[in-house]
Amino acid sequence: MSIILISSDHYETGRVVAQQVAAATGYALLDRGILGEVASASRIPEPKILKSLEPTSSKVGFPAKVRDRALASIQGAVMARLLDDKMVCYGLAAHLYVLGVSHVLKIRILCNEEERVSLMATERKVGIEKARKLLKKQDAAEKRWSLDVFGRDETNPSQYDMVISLSQIEPDEAVNAIVETVSYRKFQSMTYSIKCLRDKELSIRVKLALMEKYNDVDVTADGATVVVRTKALKREKRKKTENIRALAGQIQGVSYVEVHVVRDIFRQAAEKA
Amino acid sequence: MAIITISRGSYSKGKEVAEKVASRLGYQCISREVLLDASEHFHIPEMKLVRAIHDAPSILGRFSHGQQAFVAYFRCALVQYVKEDNVVYHGLAGHLLLKGIPNVLKVRVIADMDDRVRAEMKREKISEEAARSLLLKDDEERRKWTHALYGADPRDSSLYDLVVHVHRLTVDNAVEIISHAAQMAPFKTGKQVQKKMEDYGLACQLKAGLADSFDNVGVKSEYGNILVYARGNEHHVQRVRKKAREVAREMSGVNDLEVHAVQKLPLDVV
Repeated sequence: MSIILISSDHYETGRVVAQQVAAATGYALLDRGILGEVASASRIPEPKILKSLEPTSSKVGFPAKVRDRALASIQGAVMARLLDDKMVCYGLAAHLYVLGVSHVLKIRILCNEEERVSLMATERKVGIEKARKLLKKQDAAEKRWSLDVFGRDETNPSQYDMVISLSQIEPDEAVNAIVETVSYRKFQSMTYSIKCLRDKELSIRVKLALMEKYNDVDVTADGATVVVRTKALKREKRKKTENIRALAGQIQGVSYVEVHVVRDIFRQAAEKA
Repeated sequence: MAIITISRGSYSKGKEVAEKVASRLGYQCISREVLLDASEHFHIPEMKLVRAIHDAPSILGRFSHGQQAFVAYFRCALVQYVKEDNVVYHGLAGHLLLKGIPNVLKVRVIADMDDRVRAEMKREKISEEAARSLLLKDDEERRKWTHALYGADPRDSSLYDLVVHVHRLTVDNAVEIISHAAQMAPFKTGKQVQKKMEDYGLACQLKAGLADSFDNVGVKSEYGNILVYARGNEHHVQRVRKKAREVAREMSGVNDLEVHAVQKLPLDVV
């Protein structure tokens, strides 16, 4: 069984393809419908959860801390559901954080550019040339967003197994190609690939719990062992380590917590100054 | 019955994929043959042609007139091949050189940088650092070349119908995906496409005939009626007209020839 992650340069087009792939494979579709649930679990309003998935020029009323917590909550919910296997996931930026899992097929769908321009012109009530410029700006903002938030360029084709442009290829044919590709042995789940996904799910769960108190944590998991990396001043090191150990230790599935603290040189320099 | 262009970087397994696709579909696989044909037909030493179509443009980012002429020769030779249909072309900028032909399946095959570095180290027996630096240099030359000529970046996925990443997908998987795509309805060459290909072939042939003497000339053909657009004063346009008539006399399939003076070349010309 497999997981299919679909990304697109045009939300509606990608959504239609994802729905058709889900119908053709009999897999469940995981999309932005889960954001309401994520909002109530994280106690962050749903519009803010949605905003965290979109490039925004204004940071007013939406500090990076809230955005990071919103994104971590989405990741947690997505990872938990992906463990069920047989999933098509769309519109939740999963292609940017579900990494190193062999039974995940990553696809990018590109909409016909002229169609996008004309849709933009109608939507914004502007001329074709203005719409073309706006689209270029929007694409650049999306690229910047993916690099800012996940350190990955979502327009780079090497992030995917296959990129399909719908300029000449019909959506139905694209769906057939995806269904055919996911049937390759390479994309079937194995004990190891399932373990990789479980480790990722556990690490994001621990990170979410720690984020209530500490925003600067990086968590990895291997089985029931969790490694937390963070920064602290020399005098805080012991207390922070103990707190992290206590918080992470309470999470279901964690049996051992290792904490690595590096000195926070920037805060140290700021304090000295 | 399709035309497939496969764009690739060096050591990206694109050549292997192209050859296997051609063999599986029973198509002709072309790459260097185009170069040899162009070199023979236009009496240009092969090495000169290779350099012109491989090397990036000058520091000012512009192609010299000579380089543009060589590209015109190369395109002319390539179009003569693809007119025969059922062709897989792998090599330089096929997707851009054939942009006047509809229904071409444009594919890009990419591989991970680390895999490419390993392949180059093995073949050239050089260090990892040297291999990486050579690959990056080669990719950059390609990018500059395509940008100078077509204002496009070869890494831009929107230039292709399909981008296949050979890493988790094997070469055989890629062959299967591309062969399947070639059977899709939009890539079947019907009579109308065949006609357009013939017209494109005529335009490329005339452009190649003019390229040696003139730049700033655009050519297109509709049902064998060739339209030449030239930028410049009346005297210049007269010279273009005279030369175009000479070239067209040697070509078959030309019904009519018109030469027009324009301020700006239309977008749909060769």
